[in-house]
Amino acid sequence: MIWLGRGTTLLVAVLAPVLGLSTARGTPAPEPRVLRPVQFNRDIRPILSGNCFFCHGPDKGHRKADLRLDVRDSALADKAIVPGKPEASELWKRITTKDPDDVMPPPDTHKQLKPAEIERLRRWISEGATYQPHWAYVPVRRPSVPAVGDATRPANPVDNFVLAGLKERGLEPSPPADRRTLLRRLALDLVGLPPAPQELAAFEQDRGTNAYAAQIDRLLASPHFGERMAVPWLDVARFADTVGYHGDQNHNVFPYRDYVIDAFNRNKPFDQFTIEQLAGDLLPNPTTEQLVATGFNRLNMVTREGGAQPKEYLAKYMADRVRAVGTVWLGSTLGCTECHDHKFDPFTARDFYSMGAFFADVKQWGVYNDYSYSPNPELKGFSNEHPFPPEIAVESPFLVRRALRLRQEMGRTVEEAGVRLAASRDEQAAYRAWRTTAKRFLIQHPNGWQPARLLAADAMPAATPKPAVVSEPPLVSTAENTAPQESSPKGRKSTKSAESPASLSRRIAPPVGWLAALRMDLAPVVKPKEPGVKWSRKALRRVFVSAVLISAGKETPLDFHFADALRKEPSYRNGEKMLGIVPGWDVPKLEAGEVASSVWELAEPVRIADGDVVRVTAQGEEVASARLFTSPFAAFGSGLAPSPIADSAKGMPARTPLAAYLRRAVAAPTGSHRRGLEEVYLLSTGWAKDEARRLREWARDVTRIGDGRAPSLFTTAIRPYTVRVLPRGNWQDENGEVVSPSVPRFLSATISGTAGADRRLTRLDLARWITARGNPLTARVLVNRVWRHLFGTGLSAGLDDLGAQGEPPSHPELLDWLAAELMESNWDVKRLIRLIVMSNTYRQDSTLRPGLSEIDPGNRLLARQSQRRLDAEFVRDNALAVAGLLNLEVGGPSAFPYQPIGYYENLQFPTRDWSPDRDERQYRRGLYVHWQRTFLHPMLANFDAPSREECAADRPPSNTPQQALALLNDATFVEAARVFAARMLEDRILDDDARLGRLFERALGRAPRRDEASSLLRLLGNHREHFAAHTDDARRLTAVGFARPAGGLEAAEHAAWTSVARVVLNMYESITRL
Amino acid sequence: MSNSEDAHREDEHRKLQRRTFLAGAGYGLGAIAAESLLARQARAAAIGPRSDRWRGVIEAPHVPRRARRVIHLCMAGAPSQFESFDWKPKLKELHGQPFPESLTRGQQLAQLQNSELRARGPFIGFKKHGQSGQEISELFPRIGTIADDICIIRSMHTEQINHDPAHAFMNAGSILKGRPSMGSWLLYGLGAETDNLPGYVVLVSIGRSSDQPISSRQWSAGFLPSKFQGIQFQSKGDAVHYVASPEGVTAAVQKQIVQEVQKLDGMALAARRDPEIGTRISQYEMAFRMQTSVPELTDLSKEPKHILDAYGIKEPGDGSFASNCLLARRLAERGVRFIQLYHRAWDQHSAIETDMPRAALQTDQACAALIRDLEQRGMLDETLVVWGGEFGRTPMGQGTGRDHHINAFSIWLAGGGIKGGLTWGQTDELGYKYVKDGQEVAVRDVHATMLHLCGIDHKRLTVRFQGLDQRLTGVEEAKVLKGILA
Repeated sequence: MIWLGRGTTLLVAVLAPVLGLSTARGTPAPEPRVLRPVQFNRDIRPILSGNCFFCHGPDKGHRKADLRLDVRDSALADKAIVPGKPEASELWKRITTKDPDDVMPPPDTHKQLKPAEIERLRRWISEGATYQPHWAYVPVRRPSVPAVGDATRPANPVDNFVLAGLKERGLEPSPPADRRTLLRRLALDLVGLPPAPQELAAFEQDRGTNAYAAQIDRLLASPHFGERMAVPWLDVARFADTVGYHGDQNHNVFPYRDYVIDAFNRNKPFDQFTIEQLAGDLLPNPTTEQLVATGFNRLNMVTREGGAQPKEYLAKYMADRVRAVGTVWLGSTLGCTECHDHKFDPFTARDFYSMGAFFADVKQWGVYNDYSYSPNPELKGFSNEHPFPPEIAVESPFLVRRALRLRQEMGRTVEEAGVRLAASRDEQAAYRAWRTTAKRFLIQHPNGWQPARLLAADAMPAATPKPAVVSEPPLVSTAENTAPQESSPKGRKSTKSAESPASLSRRIAPPVGWLAALRMDLAPVVKPKEPGVKWSRKALRRVFVSAVLISAGKETPLDFHFADALRKEPSYRNGEKMLGIVPGWDVPKLEAGEVASSVWELAEPVRIADGDVVRVTAQGEEVASARLFTSPFAAFGSGLAPSPIADSAKGMPARTPLAAYLRRAVAAPTGSHRRGLEEVYLLSTGWAKDEARRLREWARDVTRIGDGRAPSLFTTAIRPYTVRVLPRGNWQDENGEVVSPSVPRFLSATISGTAGADRRLTRLDLARWITARGNPLTARVLVNRVWRHLFGTGLSAGLDDLGAQGEPPSHPELLDWLAAELMESNWDVKRLIRLIVMSNTYRQDSTLRPGLSEIDPGNRLLARQSQRRLDAEFVRDNALAVAGLLNLEVGGPSAFPYQPIGYYENLQFPTRDWSPDRDERQYRRGLYVHWQRTFLHPMLANFDAPSREECAADRPPSNTPQQALALLNDATFVEAARVFAARMLEDRILDDDARLGRLFERALGRAPRRDEASSLLRLLGNHREHFAAHTDDARRLTAVGFARPAGGLEAAEHAAWTSVARVVLNMYESITRL
Repeated sequence: MSNSEDAHREDEHRKLQRRTFLAGAGYGLGAIAAESLLARQARAAAIGPRSDRWRGVIEAPHVPRRARRVIHLCMAGAPSQFESFDWKPKLKELHGQPFPESLTRGQQLAQLQNSELRARGPFIGFKKHGQSGQEISELFPRIGTIADDICIIRSMHTEQINHDPAHAFMNAGSILKGRPSMGSWLLYGLGAETDNLPGYVVLVSIGRSSDQPISSRQWSAGFLPSKFQGIQFQSKGDAVHYVASPEGVTAAVQKQIVQEVQKLDGMALAARRDPEIGTRISQYEMAFRMQTSVPELTDLSKEPKHILDAYGIKEPGDGSFASNCLLARRLAERGVRFIQLYHRAWDQHSAIETDMPRAALQTDQACAALIRDLEQRGMLDETLVVWGGEFGRTPMGQGTGRDHHINAFSIWLAGGGIKGGLTWGQTDELGYKYVKDGQEVAVRDVHATMLHLCGIDHKRLTVRFQGLDQRLTGVEEAKVLKGILA
C-alpha cells in the first residue's frame, strides 16, 4: 500500500507554496513500491509517539492506566499487545472501536489515526510486534555499502545508498547539472560567494578528470569557507551582539565569531571544537583562543532589568544552556524536561537539572546591575552602559590591520598636504613663521606647557554652564545614568558664587598666537565632615570641563576633540570602553583627594588675538582650585610625531616626549622629522582644513583601536552553586532534590568514563562524553546538519529533534555510514563535506522532472538536487559581490550597513540609534552585520535569519512580500544595482547585447536566453527614454548609497542600466542556488 | 453562518480549485516539451497575478465565529489597576500603613525586594458610569462613556513579573523564545482578508513617557513561517520597511521593474517548474500593491474633521496613540486580521500621580472614540477590542509610585461577541490578589476566549514543533470565559 495517496501528495504540492513554506521541504520520503516488512522505527514508532506516548510513554508523572507502550515488555504484560494476534490485543480493539468512551486516542485530544496507520499497526502486531531501540540512541555502526547494479554510476558510497533507495521505487537519478550551475552551486554552498566569470569559464573548459575535485579543494581552502560554515553554527550557538532581554544592551563577543570562522578554516576536529567551546577554560594551560571559545557558554540571553530577581534569571540561564547543548550536540528536545519527564523520549526532569549542574560553575550574574533592592557588590557602580563581565582581552587581527591602514592613510594625507605646502609661497612663509615661534616657545617652556595668566576671578554666571559641544556623543546618554539624587550637591541652586562647591570658573588670557590645547590641574577641598551633608565626603568625583572663547565681546564655545585625565574611572557607552574624557570623567574614589590633571585638545585650534579671553569651567563636587596651562601644539595618532595622548597612560600631563621631539625637528626639519613636524603644524593650526579634519577623524579611530585588543565574553569557573530539581520549573520551589552534574542516565551506560566517577564531573567531562565514540547522537546530529546545508533538508528533516517525535531518517544507513566516517576520520569536517559534494547525488541537476514531484514532493529520495533560496546573509553577499562592492576582509567587529531610520526607536537603557558605516565596513559580509536580538536588521529578518535569542537549528525559508520589498528598495540592493550597472558601462566599446551578456554572466553565471535578452533590452530602451526625459530622477537613482559615484557616465544611460541590474538582482535565480 | 459568509467561502473554494488546476497543469501533465514558447509565457502570466493570499488552516469554524479581527490596545509598562478599573476604598484607608504581611509572605516581588512594604491608596476617585454602573477611575472619563460596551476583568493574573517576559507571556503564552504571538496564530488559523496589506500590523505610539523598551519578538511568528509575523508600522521614515521606491524611481518605473521581474521569473517557472517561483511571482505582486496601499492607508488627510476631533488627533499621522487608533480602524476596514497598538507609558515606579494622569490623557479619548467609530460603522460586532497591560501594579507603594505585580490586574474587552457593561472577577479588599470565585482569569483564558470568539477551539489550533503539538494556550488547562460572551 502507498503511504501517501496521490491526492495528498498533490495537495501538499499545491498548498506548500501558499503556506509560505518552501516547497514541500520535510515531506517524508514515499514508500517503495514493493511491500516491505514493517519496521518499528520507521513505520510504527512515529504513530505510537505522535498519538499514544503522551499518556502511555516515558513520563511517569502523566502516565494513564499505568500502561506504557514505549517498552515492549510493559505493553505485552498489560495485554495491550498480543504478538501475532491483533484481535486479541487491547490496543487494536481500542483504536478500532466505534465507542467514543473507549476509542483511542480519546476524542478530546483531537487526534485520529488514519486508516493507513491502523492497518500498519495491525500488520505490525500480526508480524510479531517487534520493537527496535530508537534509531538515534543505538551506537553508530558502519553499515555495509549496498551494491548497485550499474557500477559506473556511483562516485562514492553516498551514491550507493541513494541509488539503492531510488531503485526500490523504480526511479532514476537526474543527469548531472551543467558545469556552470554546478560551480555556482558549489561556491555558494562552500564559501557563500558566486564564482567569478573567469572561474566559470576555466571550469567549463577544464575537462580533466580532476577538474571538479580541484574546485572543491580550492573552495575548501578559501578563507571564506569558514565564513560560510560559521553562519549555521552561529545560529545554534545563539551568537548575537546584544543580550536580548529588556534593554538589549550590547555585549562584547565578536572574537568568538572569529574563533568559529577560524576553526572551520583550519579544519579543527569537531571534537576539539566542542571541547574548547564547552570547557576550554578547564583545559590545562588554556590558550587565549580556547578561552575565547568558551564564549559559547556566555551567549545565553541575560538581563539587567530593574526588578528582576537574580535567582530566577540564573535558573533561566541554566535552562537555556541545557536546551542549547541538547539541540546543538544531542539533537534532543531537552527543554521539555525543565518541568516534567519527557513525554516521548527517555529523558527525565532529573536529567535536565543534572545537565544544568555542569554549568553551575560558570561565572555570571543573574542580573547585571547593582540595585539598591538587590545589591550586587561585584558590580558596584554599574549602569546600563557597562559591559557584561567576565571578559577577556584578545588581540583582533582585523583591528590591528585596520589601525595600520588608518595610520598609512594619515601619513599619506600629511604627505599630500606637504606637497601643497611646498607649492605655495605664502604657506611656506606662514610655516616658517610658525617654526620660529615654536622654537621660542620650546625654549621658554621645555615641557610644552605654558602656565596660564589668570585674570581676576569671574563672577559666576547665573546659569550653570553647559558642557562643551563635542562631536562624540555624550559620555552619559541615558536618563538612568544621570547622577543619582544623593550625589548632586544640594547647595548648588542656592549658591551662585564663583566658588560654589559645584563649579569653578577661571578666565585666562592665553598668549597671542595659536592655542591648540589646555591643561587643567584641579585640587579638591577636603572639608571637615558636615553633619547631614552627604556629598562633603566625596571630594572630587565627577568633573565636567568646558571652555568659551571671549573675543571682542563675542562668546564662542570651544569644542574638544579629545581629552584625557590622569586619574579616571573607566567609562563605557553601551558596553564599549570609552577613551578620553570628553566632556567629563569620574575620579576614582580612592584618589578623590588628589590633584586631578587633565589635558584638553581643541577640535580646531584657535588663533588668539590680543585681549582675547578664554573662560574655563569645571563642574564637579568640591572643585576648589585650579591650575591652568596652554599649549600651541597638537599632535595625535599617526605615529609620525609622538602623541601627547600616547603619554597619558604613563604620566600625563607631561608633554616631554613631544616637546623634545619638536625641539629637534624645529632645529632640523629634514628627513623623517620633516613629515612629523608638518603633521604637528597641520594639526596645531589646521591650515589645510580638510586634511586636518580627516586626520582628526582617523586619529580618533586609531586611538579607539589602541593596541588592537578587544574584550570578549568568556567562561571563568567559580565554586558551583547548588542545583536542585525545580518542580514544574518553579525557581522559588526549594523542595527538589539536589543534583550533581551528570549526563542523561539512559545514555550514560553506553559511554565509559563518566558513570561512576567518584568526583564531581565538570564541563570538560561533559564535552568529552558528547564527543566520545560511543555517543550515538553527536555525529548523527552533525552529519544531518551538514546534509541540510548541502541539500536543503536533513536526512532526518527535524534538525532539532532526533527523538521519537522527530522524523526517522530517509536514508538511515547513509546517515550512519557518514557518522561513522566522521568519527573515524577524527571528526574531520572538511573531509565529510568533500565526500558529500564529490558524490553524483550532489552533482545532479535540480530541475523538477515531470512526474517526480508528485511521487516525492519533498525530494527526500534525492532523485535530483534541491533548488534552495540563499540564506539571508548570502542574499546580501551575492548582490554586493556581483556588483563588485563586497568587502572580503575576514573577521573583526560587527558592521553597520544601511538600516531604516528609527528602527531602534523602541529600545531604551540606553537609547540608541543606528549610524551606518561610511567607509569600507559598509560593504562587509552579512555574517558581520550587528546582531540586535530584539530588533534584528530588517533585511536579515525578512529573509528568515533567526533572532538568535535561543539556539536555532534550522531556518525554515519563507517567501514573502517583505523579501520583495527589501530586494527592490533597500539602499543596499539599489546601490549594488547602480554600481553593478556602472561596471557594465566601464567598457565603452561594447554594445547592449554584449553588456547584457556580461551582466548575466556576473549575476547568474550564465548567458541570457534569447527571450530574456529581448525582454530586458526592451526595458532598457524604455528606461533610456524615460530617464533621458527625467535626468533629475536619473541622477538621484544613480547616487543612492555611499559608494563613490561613477565618473563620466551619462546619468540617463547609467539609470537605464541600473533598472536592468535591479531586475536581474531581483530575479528568483539571483537569490537561489540551483 | 450568514449569507455573505457562505458566499465568501464558496468563492474561496472556487479560487482554490482554480489554483489546483493551474498547479496541476504546471507540474502534472507531461506535455510541456511540446508547448510553444508563447503558450508557456501565457501560462506564466496567468499564474503571475493569481492571489496567493493565505486562507488559514481552519477550514470551517469550530464554533460560531463572532469576531473577524482583533485590535489589541497594549498598554505597555502595565497601568495601575488601582487608578483605572479596580476601586479599593479599603486600600485608601490603609494608605501609608504597613501592608499586611499575611498577604505578601513568600510572594514574588520586583523592585520592592528587601524593602519595607506600605500600602499606597488610590490617588484618584472612581465614578459609576452608564446604565451598568461600571466603576471607572476619574482618569478615564471617556472610557466611562463606553462603560456599557466594555467588559472589565478585574481578576487577571500572570506568571511573569518583569516587562520583557511578561509581554512574551501575554503575547505568546510562553516565555520561551521562538513561540508565535497571538496575532500570528490568528493569522495562521483564519487567514488574511486582504491582498494589499499585511494581515498582522503593529503600531507603537510616540510621545509617551515612562517608557520601557519592547522587542520585536512580541510580534514574532516564532516557529511559524515569517509571513505570519506582525509587520511594524514605523513612525519615522517609511511606514513599512522598504515600502518606498528608491530615489528617482517613479511608481510607473517601479511597476515596470516589478513586471519585468515577474515576466523573467515566469520564464524560469516554465523551465524549472519549481512552485517556489510561482509563489515569488505573486509575492512581487503583493509587494507592489503594498507600495500603493500603505501610503493610501496612512494618509489621514481625507478623514473628516469631526472624526479627527473625536479621536483627539492634533496632527493626523503624528504617530500619537490617537492617530494610531484611527489608523487601526482604517486597517480593520481594509481587512487586517490582527492589529496591535503599543502605548509605552505606564511603568510608574515613581511619580505615578503626575505620569499616570498624563498617560491616561494620551489614551482615554482615543480608546473611546475607536469603539464608537467601529460601532457607527457597524464593525464593532465583528471586531474584538482588548485593552490592557502585561501585568498590574502593587497595592504597596514604591516611593512615589507602584511596583510590578502579577497577582492581580485589570483589562477590558469590547465588541466581537463580548457582553458589554459587565465587570468580571474580583480581587481581595486590598487588591493584592484575585479571588478564586470561578471568575479568576489567567492569560491563557484570555487567549482561549479570543480564539473562541474567532471561531476557533484553542485545542485544535496546533502546530507540531520540537516534537510537540504546540498551541497558544500552552499545556495547562485553559478555559473559555463563557460568562463574558454576549
